[in-house]
Amino acid sequence: MLSNYLPVLIFVIIAFIAGTVMVSLGYFLGPRRDDDAKLSAYECGFESFEDARMKFDVRYYLVAILFIIFDLEIAFLFPWAIVLDKIGLFGFAAMAVFLGILVIGFIYEWKKGALEWE
Amino acid sequence: MNFVAPDFMPVVPELFVLTMACLLLVIDVFLEQRQRYITYGVAQLTLLGAALLTLVTYAHAPVTTMFGHYIKDAMGDLLKIFIYLSSAAVFLYSRDYLRRRDLFKGEYYVLGLFGVLGMMIMVSAHSLLSVYLGLELLSLSLYALVAMDRDSPVASEAAMKYFVLGSLASGMLLYGISMIYGATGSVDLQVVSDAVARQGADNLVLVFGLVFLVVGLSFKLGAVPFHMWLPDVYQGAPTSVTLYIGSAPKLAAFALMMRVLVDGLGTLQGDWQQMLIILSVLSIALGNLVAIVQTNIKRMLAYSTISHVGFLLLGILAGSPEGYAAAMFYAIVYVLMAVGAFGMVIMLGRTGFEVENIDDFKGLNDRSPWLAFLMLVIMMSMAGVPFMAGFYAKWMVLQAVVNIGLVWLALFGVVFSVIGAFYYLRVVKCLYFDKPEQSEPIHISLDTEIAISANGLLLVALGLYPTALMTWCATALLN
Amino acid sequence: MGFEKFLFYVFALVLVFSAVRVITVRNPVHAALFLVLAFFTSAALWLLIEAEFLAIVLVLVYVGAVMVLFLFVIMMLDINIVPLREGFIRYLPVGVTVALIIVIEMGLVVGSGYFGAEQYRLVPHAVDYSNTRELGSVLYTFYVYPFEIASAILLVAIIAAISLTMRRREGTKSQDPAWQVRVSRDDRVRLVRMMPEKKK
Repeated sequence: MLSNYLPVLIFVIIAFIAGTVMVSLGYFLGPRRDDDAKLSAYECGFESFEDARMKFDVRYYLVAILFIIFDLEIAFLFPWAIVLDKIGLFGFAAMAVFLGILVIGFIYEWKKGALEWE
Repeated sequence: MNFVAPDFMPVVPELFVLTMACLLLVIDVFLEQRQRYITYGVAQLTLLGAALLTLVTYAHAPVTTMFGHYIKDAMGDLLKIFIYLSSAAVFLYSRDYLRRRDLFKGEYYVLGLFGVLGMMIMVSAHSLLSVYLGLELLSLSLYALVAMDRDSPVASEAAMKYFVLGSLASGMLLYGISMIYGATGSVDLQVVSDAVARQGADNLVLVFGLVFLVVGLSFKLGAVPFHMWLPDVYQGAPTSVTLYIGSAPKLAAFALMMRVLVDGLGTLQGDWQQMLIILSVLSIALGNLVAIVQTNIKRMLAYSTISHVGFLLLGILAGSPEGYAAAMFYAIVYVLMAVGAFGMVIMLGRTGFEVENIDDFKGLNDRSPWLAFLMLVIMMSMAGVPFMAGFYAKWMVLQAVVNIGLVWLALFGVVFSVIGAFYYLRVVKCLYFDKPEQSEPIHISLDTEIAISANGLLLVALGLYPTALMTWCATALLN
Repeated sequence: MGFEKFLFYVFALVLVFSAVRVITVRNPVHAALFLVLAFFTSAALWLLIEAEFLAIVLVLVYVGAVMVLFLFVIMMLDINIVPLREGFIRYLPVGVTVALIIVIEMGLVVGSGYFGAEQYRLVPHAVDYSNTRELGSVLYTFYVYPFEIASAILLVAIIAAISLTMRRREGTKSQDPAWQVRVSRDDRVRLVRMMPEKKK
């Protein structure tokens, strides 16, 4: 029934209000006396050399993609945790095998040094 | 719903390959580079073990298990045995190549085994879900394999193309699967088949789903007009990977067509027959014509693959038991020829030099008469010269097409295979009538030479006694 | 029913707005953030049709992980977006044509007797119905075979990601405490014998 989701809705509304209120309070109440010197870019007293956005190392990407894979695992664990009492030993073993295969991936990852940052 | 644990016995080969692939991954990270031959050995042993397991449990009557997701039947077992065989040949042929190119990594064999697992799942799929997952497992391994040579821009580009187009094809396939699921309410091919028989071609959703399925499958198979990725990937990928893509996956693709189109959507045969006719006519024509102007051997073989896919489809579209058996025979013979042809390309390379162009075969007869003879056999067989294995394959397929009354289609196939013979014979001319451009001796390790000789002789034997394999195919399809 | 409809339109409006902003904002990072908003509101729409598991997975996987990856890629490539927009007018006719075709097709699909929304109505469920539980009760039992294949696919993804993107780079400066502790005098001090020299 949809009414079960009411707390979610309330949560979304509160989050929305909290976010808006905080940002707007700062915007409206905070004193702002801008001048040229304040608005200019400051980088240790030099003119800024380059764009503040810079290229990320590809290693971040590796971390992110490995994170996604283990995040997907959560998506599988989640319904499993709910029905664990019903699916019995078979369901338990199914998840154990699933996790076992991913643990092998984890061992590989570890030994290859993909988790090291150098 | 009452739950009873399924029978695991039929799935034992799959479980074995999965376990060994995982084990190999762990073993490999603990090995030094000079011990890498252990990885290679374990991979070969895995294939051998799987072959033994499949042979011991060879199915004489179809068994469905895993709640309708898996079927073990003679067709599947026969195809699996040839998948192991050709993959073992691929691993063997590419070993020295990988060493030369500094690509001798454990990942090649681990991904290769996972690819084999994907093919096994496809071959034994009895639900649209396992069809899709098996295909993804295979494709994902292949994308990674193509990109494995990271310092080569050509290989990276090929991998990108393959990945983007392959994902598009997977999307199409999944879209088709979801429509069929929507119309029939099940992914189990048996249930789908029953539901389709009840609804027939009147249900537009089913026909829509079928179109998307056929498009997705022909993308993966490389039939025109969905072939764009194939030449670039064959040319760009490291030859060891081209060898892999060009061989066993074709058997799995054939099985997939059989499972989905014949077993699942057999009632809609009238609809898919027309689509397959268009696909095969275009593939045969384009593949043979464009192959003529190629100078790069890998690219030429890629276009030749396209034309062979066209012939393979001819057998399936015939829609008769003899047509299916002919297509199966064709697929197996084609894989043997492809493994041999790409194997020759790999073997003639040496440190600092890889065979790229047809001209690199010039005067092979003066340098090594035996290898030249084997190449001659393979090329003749691909061209479909009488009394070669390829000839019988083409002949049976065309016969099946004639028997359903499509004489024009058979004539078309004959005309284009004659045109296609031209570019195979050009290679033969290079082998025997041209002066060699290089004089370096050819070094091939003994086991590789024995394997390629066996490969060539098997083609000769199949040309002389095609009936044995043909009967095997026909009986496998019957039960 | 009134309140649900109201919610639907609120979320649908936010979704359409954010989806349009994804392709119209100048800054690719902002575009990615609008995509997050779009995912989030679609999750809310899925909740409205009681598909709560899909909604949670969408937030968990797409908002939580895939979008982070998107942001990384945007940062990694550091695309200058201005030149990309130069062809806008040139490609406009093609774009409009494709968009029109898609709109017509969608109209046909939604309106037709085969695919029509009328055909597939929401199935009413009992109060304590949870589709996460329903999903779970078959996924690990009747669908155990596809489920285990999925783990093999994830494993292949791990292998592919590592073998394709990981490379050791030379000359990075990093500390290894274990190695620092193990250092011996000979590694650091070199005694050189030299003859005494006379100052000139």
